[in-house]
Amino acid sequence: MLVLFILGSVWIGVLANRATQKGSFMKGFFLGNRGLGAWALALTATVQSGGTFMGFPSLVYTHGWIVALWIGSYMVVPITGFGILGKRLAQLSRRTEAITVPDLFRVRFGSPKLGLVASLFILLYLSFMMFAQFKAGAIVMKLAWPGSGVLAMNEDQEPFLLNEKSLERLAEDGVPANVVEKLTPLVGKGFRSAMELIEPVKAALTVDEFASFKEPIIKRGTQLDWLYIIGLLIFALTVVGYTLMGGFLAAVWTDLFQSVLMFFGVLILLFATLSQVGGLENATRKSLEHTGPGFVFGPGFDPKAAATASATTTATSAAPVATHEFLPLSLAISFFVVWVWSGVGSPAGLVRVMASQNTQVIRKSIYLLSVYNLGIYLPLIIICISGRALIPNLPTSSSDEIVPRLAIMTTKDWPCGSLVAGLILAAPFGAVMSTVSSYLVVISSGLVRDIYQRFIRPLATPMELRKAAYTAMIFAGLVSVAVNISPVQFLQAFIVFSATGAAATFLIPAVMACYWRRATVAGILSSMIGGASTVLTLYLLGIFGVMPAQPFGQLTKFHPYYLLNVDPFLWGLLASGTLGIVVSLLTTPPDAKLVSKMFDAEPVA
Amino acid sequence: MCFDSILLSMKLHLNHHQSRGLMSSQIDPVVRTARREALIVLGIWLTALTYSVTTCYVLGYNRPISELKLVFGFPEWVFWGIVVPWVSCSMISWIFAVVFVRDGELGIELEETEDELGLGG
Repeated sequence: MLVLFILGSVWIGVLANRATQKGSFMKGFFLGNRGLGAWALALTATVQSGGTFMGFPSLVYTHGWIVALWIGSYMVVPITGFGILGKRLAQLSRRTEAITVPDLFRVRFGSPKLGLVASLFILLYLSFMMFAQFKAGAIVMKLAWPGSGVLAMNEDQEPFLLNEKSLERLAEDGVPANVVEKLTPLVGKGFRSAMELIEPVKAALTVDEFASFKEPIIKRGTQLDWLYIIGLLIFALTVVGYTLMGGFLAAVWTDLFQSVLMFFGVLILLFATLSQVGGLENATRKSLEHTGPGFVFGPGFDPKAAATASATTTATSAAPVATHEFLPLSLAISFFVVWVWSGVGSPAGLVRVMASQNTQVIRKSIYLLSVYNLGIYLPLIIICISGRALIPNLPTSSSDEIVPRLAIMTTKDWPCGSLVAGLILAAPFGAVMSTVSSYLVVISSGLVRDIYQRFIRPLATPMELRKAAYTAMIFAGLVSVAVNISPVQFLQAFIVFSATGAAATFLIPAVMACYWRRATVAGILSSMIGGASTVLTLYLLGIFGVMPAQPFGQLTKFHPYYLLNVDPFLWGLLASGTLGIVVSLLTTPPDAKLVSKMFDAEPVA
Repeated sequence: MCFDSILLSMKLHLNHHQSRGLMSSQIDPVVRTARREALIVLGIWLTALTYSVTTCYVLGYNRPISELKLVFGFPEWVFWGIVVPWVSCSMISWIFAVVFVRDGELGIELEETEDELGLGG
């Protein structure tokens, strides 16, 4: 199935390659000649990434019905995504003849400096976001490998494992024999992450020993994971390959292909799980048997506290665990803002709107996406609640696999069940691939259009530009592979921050560019920088544990600091908006001719 | 082309001494309708936020299991706070897109020339 999927994508790449041959290379390769129709725009602009199929289901499985409120704002995403900036941005991008988002800012405000700052921000954010997606792609690839699938998870394939050899190495590293001795009981036990490996090690050693030998133990316990590396390479080759051939259109078309596949996959799975569990009412009641009131009420189920309460945990975590609220009221409000506005402001989304064909397309996109979102998110919630009833006790670390596991379990008695399961399993892979390819397009357009063509070789011939675009893409792919072979912790911190940061940087400037005549270059610049630095600061404070830990939000290691219990994105928007308005008003008004050209039906000559 | 520019300069001449109010009537219709539609959407978003979060919070936060009521298998608060507004929002989006959003000419791009960059600025 996966092989079919890869072949399908490459075929789309070839088709897109033919389509981009028309017209100028730059506009064709990076913007599909502004020819996006309603289906392509609706189902690809507010990007679903690998997260839709792995992260989100896992949250529903872990925390219960409250995740419905967490994702609830998707009910208005179609209308906000296209209704706020859509039409005007599409118009503005024609008036400015912009191919990229920085292009648009540069010409709208007549400032090369602004264009450069915008492109640096985009390159920075999208690189980090792409690193994360590469890793997700490699993991899905590895899971789908024959014999290593989710159902055949062998101990020896766990990437974190202490074996005889690693103990010998530890002794060579200068770790005292008595410490090594204490680790012997752990030999041969596999763990899925360094965090999991650390738990039993911590329990086996004294506090001092643990503190001084933690680093070498993790280092020696990390096994080189060949399947992961092979997965990473195949993934990189496929995505870079077809994006290289087809550019923007290849990215959009694979995205569309995958979105449609996902829609049917979800509906089939909804039917399969509901019939297995015996209706939604049964699912809700059964899921409760293994959880607690938090699963059906706010602020969400807390697996850790529940485990402690029922005293089923091992001695390692005997200390009382404070209750952890998944979604307190302040965060519920925050997420209603975050999902909606980060969708409107994301650079990859802005580019898609710029490529839309005409206003009819934008209108049609609004209701197409409404139907699509209704058919994806509510069913996914129902599926995962039923998942908790059908497979009650997945460990937290494997809850990402709830959808693939359900797919295999519920279809196994069907005629051609494995084909159906394959279809559902291919969905997250497709989601990751299409996200990566759209990032690749934006990154290489940033490098080639906004930096190479603007600042290095303004008179580059189309042939040179084509070569530069290909080089940029291959380069971006190579860097992503290199970074993912041995990821460093710092990187993860920036990845977590990137998506929110990008939207906080571009949303307000984009709104001001579209609707406010008085906005000035200085205003837009300070708005971008203010939004970005506010969000960055709050994330760094949280990630590096400068501020005390807060008892709510997701159960991940990297989370931001929620100032006044509110998501950093809101603070970023506040800073960005205030700075943008105040600085604009304090600086000299923009050139009337330029503004008129952007806003008026018959511009002042 | 030439005729257009004469017309334009006549208009400008007429408007020369007039207030900004008249100037703004020159605003491209797409800009005007887009701005109005954006404000409507903003209102819809705020309404959805207020309704959904309030309903879910009032009916669904920190309750004992004994108060669990199911509507079509959904907990009561999910049904009224999420499912119902979600379906309504989808319908509103459809009506909005079909009835309210005005079509407009987005403008035709000039053919790209050597200086399509508009490098200056």
